Amino acid sequence: MTSAQKGRVADIARHRLTPAARYTLGLAGTVVGLLAIMAALYPPFADSANVEVLAMNFILEAFMALGMTAVIVSGGIDLSVSAVLPFAAIVTGLLLRAGAPVPFAIGIALLASAGVGALNATMRQVLRVHPFIVTLATMLSLKGVNLVITGGAPVAGFPESFALLGRGRLLGLPFALVLFAALAVAIGWFLAHHRYGQQVYLIGGNVRAARLAGVHVERVLLLVYMLCSSLAGLAGVVAASQYVSASTGFGQNSELRVITAVAIGGASLNGGTGSVGGSVLGVLFLAIVYNAFAMSGVSTYWQDVVSGVMVLGAVLLAQAAARESRTRRAAGPGERPAAAQVR
Amino acid sequence: MRFRVSVIRAREAWLAVMVLVVSGLLALAEPRFLNASNLVSVGTGMIYDLPVAAGMTLVLALGGIDLSVGAIIGLTSVVTAIYLRSGGSVALAVPIALAAAGGAGALNGVLVARFKVPPFLVTLATMSIARGTATVLTSGYYLSGLPPAYLQIGRGQLLGVPYPVFVVLGVVVVFDVLLRRWKPLHDAYYAGTNPPAAVLSGIDVGRLVFAGYVASALAAGLSAVFMTSRLAMGYARFGELAELRAIAAAVLGGASFSGGTGSILGAALGVLLLAVISNGFVLLRLSVYWQGVVSGLILVAAIAVDASRRRRNEPR
Amino acid sequence: MNDQILGVQGVSKRFGRHTVLDEVTFGVRAGSIHALVGENGAGKSTLMNILGGALRPDSGTVTLDGRPAAFADPLAAIRAGIGTVHQEFGLFPNRSVAQNIFAGREPTGRAGFIRWRALGRQAQAILSEIGVDLAPSAPVATLSVAAQQMVEIAKALSLRPRVLILDEPTSALSDHEAQRLFRLLADLRSRGVAIIYISHRLSDVRQIADEISVLRDGRLVGRTTREASPADLIGMMVGRHIESITPSRRTNLGAEIFRVEGLTRHRVFADVSFGVREGEILGLAGLVGSGRTEVARAIFGADRLDAGRIWLEGRALAIGSPRQAIASGIGYLTEDRKALGLFLTMTVGDNIVAASMPKLVSRAGVLRPRAIRAEAARYLHRLDIRPVDDRVEARTLSGGNQQKVLLAKWLSAAPRVLIVDEPTRGVDVAAKAGIHRHLSQLADAGMAIVLISSDLPEVLGLSDRVGVFREGRLVTILDGATATQEDIMRHASA
Repeated sequence: MTSAQKGRVADIARHRLTPAARYTLGLAGTVVGLLAIMAALYPPFADSANVEVLAMNFILEAFMALGMTAVIVSGGIDLSVSAVLPFAAIVTGLLLRAGAPVPFAIGIALLASAGVGALNATMRQVLRVHPFIVTLATMLSLKGVNLVITGGAPVAGFPESFALLGRGRLLGLPFALVLFAALAVAIGWFLAHHRYGQQVYLIGGNVRAARLAGVHVERVLLLVYMLCSSLAGLAGVVAASQYVSASTGFGQNSELRVITAVAIGGASLNGGTGSVGGSVLGVLFLAIVYNAFAMSGVSTYWQDVVSGVMVLGAVLLAQAAARESRTRRAAGPGERPAAAQVR
Repeated sequence: MRFRVSVIRAREAWLAVMVLVVSGLLALAEPRFLNASNLVSVGTGMIYDLPVAAGMTLVLALGGIDLSVGAIIGLTSVVTAIYLRSGGSVALAVPIALAAAGGAGALNGVLVARFKVPPFLVTLATMSIARGTATVLTSGYYLSGLPPAYLQIGRGQLLGVPYPVFVVLGVVVVFDVLLRRWKPLHDAYYAGTNPPAAVLSGIDVGRLVFAGYVASALAAGLSAVFMTSRLAMGYARFGELAELRAIAAAVLGGASFSGGTGSILGAALGVLLLAVISNGFVLLRLSVYWQGVVSGLILVAAIAVDASRRRRNEPR
Repeated sequence: MNDQILGVQGVSKRFGRHTVLDEVTFGVRAGSIHALVGENGAGKSTLMNILGGALRPDSGTVTLDGRPAAFADPLAAIRAGIGTVHQEFGLFPNRSVAQNIFAGREPTGRAGFIRWRALGRQAQAILSEIGVDLAPSAPVATLSVAAQQMVEIAKALSLRPRVLILDEPTSALSDHEAQRLFRLLADLRSRGVAIIYISHRLSDVRQIADEISVLRDGRLVGRTTREASPADLIGMMVGRHIESITPSRRTNLGAEIFRVEGLTRHRVFADVSFGVREGEILGLAGLVGSGRTEVARAIFGADRLDAGRIWLEGRALAIGSPRQAIASGIGYLTEDRKALGLFLTMTVGDNIVAASMPKLVSRAGVLRPRAIRAEAARYLHRLDIRPVDDRVEARTLSGGNQQKVLLAKWLSAAPRVLIVDEPTRGVDVAAKAGIHRHLSQLADAGMAIVLISSDLPEVLGLSDRVGVFREGRLVTILDGATATQEDIMRHASA
């Protein structure tokens, strides 16, 4: 093998030249830059206590983003997460109030959440309907279910031992954050480097070719949607633990924030691209913006406005970074002077 | 073109049948449905959703999506109320409202057409910005005390029917004819089916996409003008969930997320169907639980039937 | 028959009322290349899908090593050692070449985690084996169509198949690359691989096939060897007399009506100048990647031009967009008809009038449906497009008919100068002859035509003069009557 060839092989190992990697780097740079600016403008920003608050404000969205990444990479979308979150919280709450042991309550809640994901996947497959519609329908239905089983009132009366998840600490950090970090690494690594994880990208890139390559498309999608819903359920359990209560208002509009974070992170809504790392950066970006508001004392009503502007800014910046160095297909699918010559 | 027209006609016919079937079932279950006052209220309730569904049809046909319409309704309503309360003239209130809405649409249009940011993201962000701006301007409060002359816009009647009904129906009909028969708008089908091929066929896709988002926003603005007038207040939360209803109606009417199709008449029928169903919820005093489930099921069923019909026409 | 690895016995297949295959018996032996030729709609794709496991026959059997075999799905066929290279690419655009080659079969360590370095190495090995200089890490979406086809071939070869089925493998390749592929196929043959080669290109087939089977209307109408003459083959394929592919040359050329000078686009093409006369066909030949399509797109306003001027009928043109180009009288029939030319989910009628709407609407811009349908009907008949129905969706048409629809679109727009880019790629013999005839007629009627093509016989047969591109420059213009393929290749590769 020539050295040029060896160099190319090394590129593969390091994914260095992909436009996707460049986008993620651009985004990371933006986030770091933002952190630096905030720290310079408001010294208390860099305080470890504040950083922790910053992270924990978006911990629910962070959990959900892990699963949503997989769904969006596969070419789909899941709007029902914002209804699954309160659903899991409520189920946990009701079981705890009825005296069930904590692990049992959590287990049932997660199982029920996974069930919703299975429902989404099955409806999508059987009815051959776009996931946007399917999960929209599930969301609407589940919202109704939540209202019915709570009678509109928040659920309270939890044992104190339950608060560990939401408020406990491990290794000096909030327990939920440690759990998130572990899940993010595991899921991220799996998606990026495991053969089965990569199948999600294949499905999102070209589902027909994926089938021909031996991918069990239906099975993978079932698992992907179940994963997404389960993580939304986990977020609900964490929320219930944090607030030591469960209400139908939990997680309102969170699906938009989560999808935004994943999209900022580089996932295309058509599928085939994206990464857990990028999505985490996306969540971090949103968290920083939100925290900056709280710090600067600007009326919270401005948050929506400026976060919308910042989202656009971040996407434009990252797009510009990817565009600059990517070889453009100037000629369309025809001739490309540089990319390929046949010896 | 005839083929597509006949397919769309089939869908519109099917929608009309669905409306009749649901109405029939509803009338059987709850005869009050057929009361003149109830039917009128269903009709006038559709005023707000019709223009937005029409605008959404155009945007979907162009291959995009506009999630910000609901927020634009809220923002427009707030801007109008502030203007009027500060002593502005009623005559200028409507142009100003439309200008505000159009501005938001222009922002969407520029970002999608010129900067190539995915429409989902753009309109999600502008939704946030519009809703947020409206909330900031009102601190979350209702803004009332609007001049009576302005209230006439939405409440005045002609032959017992409120003015907005005429305006909205007129807009929908004109819009439908234009999309079908006027080249500059009809080009949207080409632009949404295959944008690069449309450019290479001499269609100015960028300008069309821009215009689509502006039109969608203006439709939302129109809806807001009437809402503000009839409810006599400006409120940042007006139009909540309007985008979802508009998308559902547009898709029922034949639009698709992949672009290139859509019918405004179909979307209007979609709005009618959804309005009858909501009316059914109220009359039958269905619990909130059922509302959610039934809405969901109907949406899925409608799309599934449509998808299966489309698949039957698929080639080898 | 005994050493036949893969074959079908008396196989029939129906789609609805349409019999696509009728009692076909066909097979391939180890270490041989068996070509399958036939017009579009003859049943080649269906037969290929049955052999590749994507379809099951209604009657008859598929045999593997002489014994009946039933493939439940394409995967089963792949596992049985049958590799297929499809015409429609099954690639993942956002993934690299290496990831595409080994999709679903990436080398993994314990617990299934992918070993990226091994992936890169193995991909590089396969690419070297076929002699293709592609970076394994290159995202497939950035590659040219020819390079993508190479990736498809690499993918099939990486399976180490016993049988390799190729569907129109040279449709996107230049002659040079096609020769490369043939050498590769010959090499595989010598190693005992059985190859089924499906193609329209009789020149290809006569060059490499050991056996040739001809399909017509779902029936196997003849089996012969490469000794058969093109006329014989065409006769079997079509069942009727086809006039020669090479129309006679025009002699009544007018004055120069189209001129470009000094066209330059930084790092893509430089200082391109040529003129075309009324009624003339100027061919542009060159290797894939030499810049011809880029020049065409720049002239048409689809891409940026850094320098250069364009004149049409004496007027200097300022073209900023395809719309302006069309309005000025320039047309461009794109290379990739599916992605850039056709609106597949719209009707044939919609497609035909896509570029000529301005003349079919009232002054206020209102569509005139009757005029539109009449225009569509005119071209359906003139170009013999099947089915003769302007209301069917364009994607239901065969490749040849789709190309005719695309041509109809530009005829309807009636430009003064028409640039056609690979007008007969992926088109069967009969339709190809028809398109050549139409181009010739257009030129006779006074249109100036620029013909970009990698099919040298086509270029030489149709063109009055032939310009040769090399690495972004127009290096020479040869006389169409006296130039040879060797002349062109010599200038194109140097």
